[in-house]
Amino acid sequence: MARNRYDVDEVLEEKFDIKQLKRMIQYIAPHKKKMLLALFFMLSSAFLVTFIPKFMQLEMDRYIPEKDIRGITGLVVVTALICVYAAICTHAKIKLTVSVGQDIIHQLREDLFCHLQELPFQYYDERPHGKIQVRVVNYVNSLSDVLSNGILGTITDLFNLIFIIIFMFGMNVRLTLFCLCGLPFLILFVVVIKRYQRRAWQRQSNKQSNLNAYIAESINGIRVTQAFVRERENTKIFNYLSKSYRDAWMYASYYGFAMGPAVSLISTLTTAFIYVMGVSYIANGAANGITVGVLTAFTAYISRFWTPINTIAAFYNSMVTAVSYLERIFETIDEPVAVRDAADAVEMPKIKGMVSFDHVDFSYEDGIKVLKDVSFQVKPGETIAFVGPTGAGKTTIVNLLSRFYNVDSGRVLIDDIDISKVTLHSLRTQMGVMMQDSFIFSGTIMDNIRYGNKDATDEEVILAAKTVCAHDFIMQMEDGYQTQVNERGSRLSVGQRQLISFARALLADPAILILDEATSSIDTETELVLQEGLSRLLKGRTSFIIAHRLSTIQNADCIMYISDGGIAEAGTHEELLKKKGKYYELFTSQYQIENKI
Amino acid sequence: MTPMKWFYSFLRQYRWRMFFGMVLVTVLVAAALSSPYISKIIVDDVITGEKYDLLMPLIFVLIALVIVQGVCRVGSQMLFETSSQGVLFQMRDKVYRKLLREDFAFYNKNRTGDLMSRQTGDMDAIRHFIAYVIYIIYENVLYFILALVMIFRFNIWLALSMVIILPLAAATTYWQAKSVRPAFKKVREAFSSLNAFVQENISGNRVVKAFAKEEYEIEKFSVENDKYRNAELGAAKIWKRFVPIFELLSNMLNILLMLVGGVMVIGQQMTLGDLVAVNGYLWMLTSPLRMAGWWINDVQRFTTSVEKIYDTYLAEPDIKKPKNPVACKKLMGNITFRNVSYCAEGEDILQDINFEVKQGQTIGMIGTTGAGKSTVMNLLCRFFDVTEGEVLVDGINVKDLDMHDLRGNIGIAMQDVFLFSDTIEGNIAYGVPDCSFERVEKAAKMADADSFIQELPEGYDTIVGERGVGLSGGQKQRISLARALLKEPSILILDDTTSAVDMETESYIQKQLANINHTCTIFIIAYRISSIMNADQIFVLDRGKIIERGTHRELLEKNGYYATVYHHQFPKQ
Repeated sequence: MARNRYDVDEVLEEKFDIKQLKRMIQYIAPHKKKMLLALFFMLSSAFLVTFIPKFMQLEMDRYIPEKDIRGITGLVVVTALICVYAAICTHAKIKLTVSVGQDIIHQLREDLFCHLQELPFQYYDERPHGKIQVRVVNYVNSLSDVLSNGILGTITDLFNLIFIIIFMFGMNVRLTLFCLCGLPFLILFVVVIKRYQRRAWQRQSNKQSNLNAYIAESINGIRVTQAFVRERENTKIFNYLSKSYRDAWMYASYYGFAMGPAVSLISTLTTAFIYVMGVSYIANGAANGITVGVLTAFTAYISRFWTPINTIAAFYNSMVTAVSYLERIFETIDEPVAVRDAADAVEMPKIKGMVSFDHVDFSYEDGIKVLKDVSFQVKPGETIAFVGPTGAGKTTIVNLLSRFYNVDSGRVLIDDIDISKVTLHSLRTQMGVMMQDSFIFSGTIMDNIRYGNKDATDEEVILAAKTVCAHDFIMQMEDGYQTQVNERGSRLSVGQRQLISFARALLADPAILILDEATSSIDTETELVLQEGLSRLLKGRTSFIIAHRLSTIQNADCIMYISDGGIAEAGTHEELLKKKGKYYELFTSQYQIENKI
Repeated sequence: MTPMKWFYSFLRQYRWRMFFGMVLVTVLVAAALSSPYISKIIVDDVITGEKYDLLMPLIFVLIALVIVQGVCRVGSQMLFETSSQGVLFQMRDKVYRKLLREDFAFYNKNRTGDLMSRQTGDMDAIRHFIAYVIYIIYENVLYFILALVMIFRFNIWLALSMVIILPLAAATTYWQAKSVRPAFKKVREAFSSLNAFVQENISGNRVVKAFAKEEYEIEKFSVENDKYRNAELGAAKIWKRFVPIFELLSNMLNILLMLVGGVMVIGQQMTLGDLVAVNGYLWMLTSPLRMAGWWINDVQRFTTSVEKIYDTYLAEPDIKKPKNPVACKKLMGNITFRNVSYCAEGEDILQDINFEVKQGQTIGMIGTTGAGKSTVMNLLCRFFDVTEGEVLVDGINVKDLDMHDLRGNIGIAMQDVFLFSDTIEGNIAYGVPDCSFERVEKAAKMADADSFIQELPEGYDTIVGERGVGLSGGQKQRISLARALLKEPSILILDDTTSAVDMETESYIQKQLANINHTCTIFIIAYRISSIMNADQIFVLDRGKIIERGTHRELLEKNGYYATVYHHQFPKQ
């Protein structure tokens, strides 16, 4: 799959179906009790409140003509009690629905986040990060109200509606049927616009996602933007995305705007129809039990029939919006986990450090092989260095070792165990990887190092920092290990960041250590001290080192020259020099440069 | 300026549109109030009074009224929605521009996710306010006032007894607004912090996986997720006290009418017909009152969001454009650092740096990790301001130059390569977005990136992931170098740009740099001697000071730090 970028909409293949809603119900189901209780409060208070106008009627029809002050007082007291009860119900209902709504989105967000933790690098590599984020935070948030309050309100309205329809049937069947005539038109209208409406909201959510992606990148790349004086151009792009979002929003809203007036229009036409028919019946001699009294009473109920329909339509509208977010959320939750524990995966036993690649083929994208038939064997405790031109596949080899990706064919074995047969957790906790990009989390320096082993004591953290020569510069900072750093970490130089992530890897006490350009931005002096400390640490651990500085790797037990997705040469420094092959060329090029002076 | 005034400065230009929207709402209210009146005539005169010939005209009026209502409803919603989108568009633009102007110090303090929340979640509360809350409140206030006026016309005493509710409602409004505000502030903070956490987790996904810390991340996430839920629940805990009070107040009107109205009719201070009429209007008083608690929430959510956005917007960068910048589009590249010191957060980062570079020279910088090499370059680009001393380019203090003019003359390939999720071509042409493909290709060739780009299935159109995911470290560095070269700057800064490329590639790149045909001052920061040994001057930095300087030969003879490093990197066979 091609990578997505900020100005490209993500296609959603799936067709709309009721499954999304069914799945949503699974999230609501655990809160059945609370929902039912809330429903009880809503219905009971709604039921009681309908008596208030009846009491008013009673007062005007009976007590006032009879000048019955006592009767009025009685009514007032009962009404007051109903009002107090209604207020208590509202209070209870709010408490219940807010907590249900928040619990639902809490759960949904948790599921989404947990699934994201399992998704492999590829997933993150294929799209701007802002687009993933918007799902976890913004999309989920827009659901809370619809899913609790909205649903309950609709149920209450449905009850109202049924109640009124029954009542109307009781008054006059024919007129009620006339009244129901309007509904098919409304349903037709809803069905017709639904398709467009759904597409419009999908577009809107896409545009929102694009904008979010661009904001995230703008903030993360601010240094480059300022250095390249790109502010004006970026503002243009930003405004273009912002405008697309606005337009998509407006377009999607139009459908919602049409809903209310459509309901009113249909309801008025239906009412008019009833007047006309009713009047003609009466004029022609009160057929079908339609009398002046019945028609008058009936018209009073027509508006009570359409009010709940109006609110249900409004709910339907917000549901369509919610579904366009739900689809995206479920799409992510359904994203297959390419790299996952096999069904019968076992714990990786304590690693001794024997590593072998057995005819490994690998490609990131179909058809473009990055590794071709790579085989090698490493004994426990050996240090292996990979050299070769950039992009030859060195990083890929070490990534396969931690099973960040699955091999296309062949096997990767550690201690003769195929790593695809063990749990990822037991495998990766025994590997220490120091990557090309050293990521710093916001928090203290202490926390960042401790990331490797959250049970480590402060002393252990400091020891790790001392081993990688990071202690001195950390102590120079105003709060030492408690100094706050952040993701962009511009307080730290790249070299310092590398040292911190080095300490992090060491603290994990790995059986296999992988250093991918781990020291490219560290000065030679520091590196020498570092290596001294390291050589003690590396004893007994298998380690893989990728480096361009040959001084870093000369002492390795085996140097592999990687080019074109395979191992071109392998051997010790001396052996490879004797061979006069590619490594020799690489090595002597340093001296050529030197000799030129 | 207060946050609200700031907000109004955006809304101002839409005030006529909003006004017109309100006019439509007024018409709508009038039409809505007339419809029942028509229905009443139909029932009284047509059905009961048997004036059948009036039916058709009345029905037409009824339908006409509904159409008027529909038109007014759609029209006003459009007006409010477009106003709100207009305000939002401009506010986003303004905040975005401001973010682009903020200096590094600001970005060191603020987390990406926090800043993003200002542009997303907080903006949404504003949208909702303009598009919905304003008109719904106006519409309901209109109903409320109209109903009151009519009730006053029917009976002053009845009306006055109902007005008693008003101070109670006002007091409740005040209390709710006041007590719910801090709670909503907490909600916004929790939202922001959740957003920031998720953002970092996604950015750091490689580290999370490498350390198999998924469970730990989920734990931390749960804290944030809980915090957000609890903030919302905490707010609900407060406002759920007030919403029923409004409901109670609204129902009290019913009781008042029942009691006062009944007694007055019995006492013959008003007619039964008046009571029936007032009862018909009562919903216009009660339903606005019933909903008031919810709208107060919306208003408060809106104000806290405006405040949050404005807070971020207010932060002024320390690095400011000079009032009267020296006009200078093209710089030559003569650079002087005079007694420059720089300290940040109590830490001396550079001390007393002095050097002079003539245009066209190549300068090498080497030194320990964290010695301050990149900082020297950051001061030159004026990403930071010197604490003491001055940085001059072509004899002009960089503080007197427009930053854009200054930086426009500098091409920098940063140590921490950042690529955008865009095509490779787009990334290389980042500084000159509308340049020709030939220039992109030329720059890529100079940076020795062309060959590997050509090998990619989609060549220059390959989209690279965020931060250049999918490319190796060396490939990213070369793209970043090409990006800097494409600008054809007078000053080129290569900050550790070739650390991840092999020596052969590096020496190729050096040859290309030597062949740059315009005058270009080049700074090369590196750890490899081979990267800098051909430089005209080499500075060795240690702990913020230049400890050695000279050419490669001079430095070797000096037998100091440089020579030691040299011997380490090129051990005698």
